[in-house]
Amino acid sequence: MTKKQLVKDPLNLIITGVGGQGNVMISLIIGNAFVREGYFVTLGETYGASQRGGPVMSHMRISKETQYSPFIPDGCADIILGMEPVETLRMLGRYGNPNVITIINPRPIYSIDVIGGQAEYPDLHKLVESVKELSAKTWIINATEEAQKMGSHMFANAILIGALVGSGVLPLDKKSVEPVLREIFPKEITANLAAFNKGIKLVRS
Amino acid sequence: MAEEAKGCKELFSEVIETGLCALCGACTGTCPYLVYYKGRIALLDNCALLKGQCYEYCPRTYIDMDVISQQVFGVPYSEEELGTAKEMLMVRSTDASMREKVQYGGAVTTLLSLALAEGFIDGAVLTRTSHDKTPSPFLAQSADEVLQCTGSSYMACPVLGRYNQIPKDNGNELGLVAMPCQVLAVAKMKKDPPENRASIGNVKLVIGLFCTWALSPDRFYQFLKENLDLSKVKKFDIPPPPANRFDVYTASGRTSFPLEQIRKFTMTTCTYCLDMTSEFADISVGSVEGIEGWNTVIIRTDIGADLVEMAKKKGKLQIDKLPSANLTHLKEASLLKKKRALNEIVKKSGDKNNLLYVGLSPRLADKLLA
Amino acid sequence: MANIDIDAPGTSQLLIGNEAIARGALEAGIGFAAAYPGTPSSEILGSLAQVAKEMGIYAEWSVNEKVAMEAAAGASFAGIRALASMKQNGINVVSDFLANLVMSGIGKGGLVLVSCDDPSAISSSNEQDTRPIAKWLDIPLVEPGDFQETKDMTRWLFDLAEELGTLCMLRSVTRIAHARGNVRLGELPKKQLKAYFDQIHDLKSVMPTTFMPIPSPLRHFFLHMKMDKAREKFEGSAFNRYVGPNKADLLIITCGSCWLYSQDAVKALKLEDRVGILKLGTLWPLPEKFIGEHLDKSEKLLFVEEIDPFLERSVMEMVANLPPSSPRPIFYGKRSGHVNAYGELNPDLVIKAISTILGLAYQPRDIEYRKKAEAVAKSNVPERSMTFCAGCPHRATFWAIKNALKLDGRGGVVTGDIGCYSMALGPAGFFQVRTMHCMGAGAGVANGLGKLGQFGFDQPVLAVVGDSTFYHATIPALINGIYNQSDFILVILDNSATAMTGFQPHPGTGMTAMGEPTKVVSMEALCCSLGAHVEVCDPFDLKGTIATLLEMIAEGGGAKVAIMRRRCELVRAKKEKPPYRVHVDPEKCIGEACGCDRLCTRVFLCPGLIWDKKANRSKIDEVTCTGCGLCVDVCPQGAIIKEAV
Repeated sequence: MTKKQLVKDPLNLIITGVGGQGNVMISLIIGNAFVREGYFVTLGETYGASQRGGPVMSHMRISKETQYSPFIPDGCADIILGMEPVETLRMLGRYGNPNVITIINPRPIYSIDVIGGQAEYPDLHKLVESVKELSAKTWIINATEEAQKMGSHMFANAILIGALVGSGVLPLDKKSVEPVLREIFPKEITANLAAFNKGIKLVRS
Repeated sequence: MAEEAKGCKELFSEVIETGLCALCGACTGTCPYLVYYKGRIALLDNCALLKGQCYEYCPRTYIDMDVISQQVFGVPYSEEELGTAKEMLMVRSTDASMREKVQYGGAVTTLLSLALAEGFIDGAVLTRTSHDKTPSPFLAQSADEVLQCTGSSYMACPVLGRYNQIPKDNGNELGLVAMPCQVLAVAKMKKDPPENRASIGNVKLVIGLFCTWALSPDRFYQFLKENLDLSKVKKFDIPPPPANRFDVYTASGRTSFPLEQIRKFTMTTCTYCLDMTSEFADISVGSVEGIEGWNTVIIRTDIGADLVEMAKKKGKLQIDKLPSANLTHLKEASLLKKKRALNEIVKKSGDKNNLLYVGLSPRLADKLLA
Repeated sequence: MANIDIDAPGTSQLLIGNEAIARGALEAGIGFAAAYPGTPSSEILGSLAQVAKEMGIYAEWSVNEKVAMEAAAGASFAGIRALASMKQNGINVVSDFLANLVMSGIGKGGLVLVSCDDPSAISSSNEQDTRPIAKWLDIPLVEPGDFQETKDMTRWLFDLAEELGTLCMLRSVTRIAHARGNVRLGELPKKQLKAYFDQIHDLKSVMPTTFMPIPSPLRHFFLHMKMDKAREKFEGSAFNRYVGPNKADLLIITCGSCWLYSQDAVKALKLEDRVGILKLGTLWPLPEKFIGEHLDKSEKLLFVEEIDPFLERSVMEMVANLPPSSPRPIFYGKRSGHVNAYGELNPDLVIKAISTILGLAYQPRDIEYRKKAEAVAKSNVPERSMTFCAGCPHRATFWAIKNALKLDGRGGVVTGDIGCYSMALGPAGFFQVRTMHCMGAGAGVANGLGKLGQFGFDQPVLAVVGDSTFYHATIPALINGIYNQSDFILVILDNSATAMTGFQPHPGTGMTAMGEPTKVVSMEALCCSLGAHVEVCDPFDLKGTIATLLEMIAEGGGAKVAIMRRRCELVRAKKEKPPYRVHVDPEKCIGEACGCDRLCTRVFLCPGLIWDKKANRSKIDEVTCTGCGLCVDVCPQGAIIKEAV
């Protein structure tokens, strides 16, 4: 089976969410899978203080040729994986373009600005519609919901990795990702693999 | 006047920070933001509500005296020195052992115990002075508990905060022993009943006390602690003029402080208070000048009259005519307080037409200010 | 964290810059590493500590950077290669030692200092460029431009330090330290290390075996000689290189992370044949000859670096010294305003600078799309402020402090320090903290406030400090408060972790960096022995904590200590299940009416407790709630229910 090529070089992937959601985990798995396939990968993350409830974004630059900087320039995202709706829209606002492909988990996490009454959380339905309008293609994956059905919202990460891989937007397949999953999730590997497969199913249905 | 939305922000700027706060407690016990602590009202967080019950029921925010009088008595605000009154009496408890424990004649204790025993009320909110002489609000639900609350500490106590804490669905009927400021707050509540707490309609009996001024529970208490062994104190008393003393009774006898020394600890708000005899209560109770061991009782409503009548029939109270000299003197003292207070208010506001929180008819105001 | 001890030379791993440094140090054969946690440097020591036992090296979390640096120097004096790493603030803390160390010289073991700066202060109190200390104190300085270089430079620096006989410095920034990239591994050494502090055999040659900065003028002269030798080596270094045409419309001179940004920018603008990039890796002493050889590539120079114009000014000085006939290029950079002299850079900022200088337009995406995307984002994307995690004991502590100070009523002042609890400057901690500077400053400032009684000052003073910060810098300030009888309460937030930087252990936790159990330095025993009145509270017992604070405020009589002890929620959650299942009873919740006005959501602000607009009630967000049950005590209606799990 021939390996797929990058549709463009570099391929720019953003993974976004809220501190504590597991953003870093997902980017580690995808990133490592690519390095083992012989790609240059640069992964830029914002974490540390922002873990405490603030927005978190990972920028991944994937290239066959050279090491790119850990920042995707404005307007140059190719794929956005949004673990939280408002954060997804935040990314599209800055890094989106007419060709961007978006995968969104439509499960809101309320900031204290919203809880305290200083800001309003937008209508979820309208928000998802906006995401669709700003993307060339959108997949809505109810990862948190499905994860809770499996017993814990923590499985949402593996589901979303599955969705990303199953969507075919990355030149990665199950074979390249599974071994990395095993290394990074040594406990609960069965459950996480099941979640991963669920994600693939969800994105293809 | 009640159209404008006012809340705890205005409560602080108009009342608490201007020295008008009487520590009546009407603004505490309903919400988590306003609490009474060591002689002051503290605001724990900023409430974002524009209109608040704290401001509405405060006895130092605007009161239309006529409107309140209509609510309580069905008549406009009386121009009499002692307010609307049916009868003025002199009474004392027939129980000699009780008389030893009480401040004067035991009228309040007797009437409350009777009301409880007869099921007229299920409980009474009043002040209890503990062993170390700190006054605190208390809900008494038996005659024994009422007996624990005899004696005055002469310090302000936020009794209404305790009423505010009684849950909404508690159907018990209540009595209340209160100072004139607190009686005023209750009258305001009766006019616009509050939500989220026990129905004000269940406050069946308000016994108001005579009051010239109250002492600061923080500063005066400090003074007492520094000068006395409070655990040995049995009773406080301020005898009538010309005594000019503050008396402290212990097992070994009596210590006295010159009244001038004690006046320093008066609450600022008392200067601006017109009400000496709790004009909006069902029954008002005080001492009898020159006659130890008796109470002056003013009956104002039918409820009050019925209760006193019951006490008389059951032989709980000895009732006499109030000597005319006492009545005259009481009226003079009461009128003097009104005049002094209104004049001080005008001095504070700087404008004869601005009576701060007091809503009087111009004619009555002029009469008092003359 | 990745395993940096993988014995697979030639393979490529995806490492963060910090792991690359750790790996480089391992490949160089270090024996000793010391540090204090500080974002973005913590993973250097963290990853070394993880493999320390197996690699036969020693790695420790020191109580602060000064001790870490001194300890590493000690190892160097005894012939062991050593590394000390820190964030920018650590450089400030070690500066006195460094000023003396450069004079005394190092031992036979190469000594490397790694400084990780945090441009834009993403996880810091301040932003600060630490490179100027190299110029200030005469320290050879390098700055890696990508992840491979981060490892290779670290590896090389130990050799350089030993050849020169002086401390060498590597400077990194967040976007290298915490970003991941491909790193090809080298060989791991198999040598057994031996430590020995040389004896003095010959009284005539004391200097190599006694480490002292005196006589200073002579030592200073020797130091300059070392720097001249360093410059010679830098002139021929492969870490400096040129990429681009022989004649360029613009020459970018850059270093560090900006090397990647500049490349990105040139590619995005498709100017590979018009714009050249001179990348420097060895920054101080400046390789003047090397730079001089490329100056004629263009009339225009654009300096791209973070944060200060360090390279820019150094090259400016160099150019000023050139003979009058030399080309006089136009300098663009921070001085000219083309590049921000503050904050971190990114490819877009470099694109903007280049476009402005060359008069180009740049449109990465369709204009209509951009307008729509920006408008949609602006109106639909609410702010997401930082806050304490659900279940965090700090929320309880600051709730208790707020209530205590309001009850006291005299306008109490809380001075703050560095850690998660710094967030109490904002709504997360109810705006309680009023000052924040560097580690230990809270207690220092409190000392001053607590002595102002003679000027009519009667506001209660509280200084909040984390447990790790306490051991790091606060003990001298507490001693000062007891000795000078300053009226303040030192509130130690003991959550058993150095939380903000990644839950590293400290002297109070009973665990070392290498995972070994050790003596606990009891903070209450320590404070008691200093003569302070000490109370220990559980912040979740709100009533008790408030009462204790009020009693201590009323006490007076010099500095005293209140320890707020409860484990960090994230630490607890790793080991235990949630203690309660919490829900809101919608019948009891009165929400917006008088009697509450949404105290739980409007004021208390736990992210696990949200406001359901439709139902007009509070609700538990079961994804975020950690089941601590604290909100149960906050709701005045008793509408929040907890059930033991």
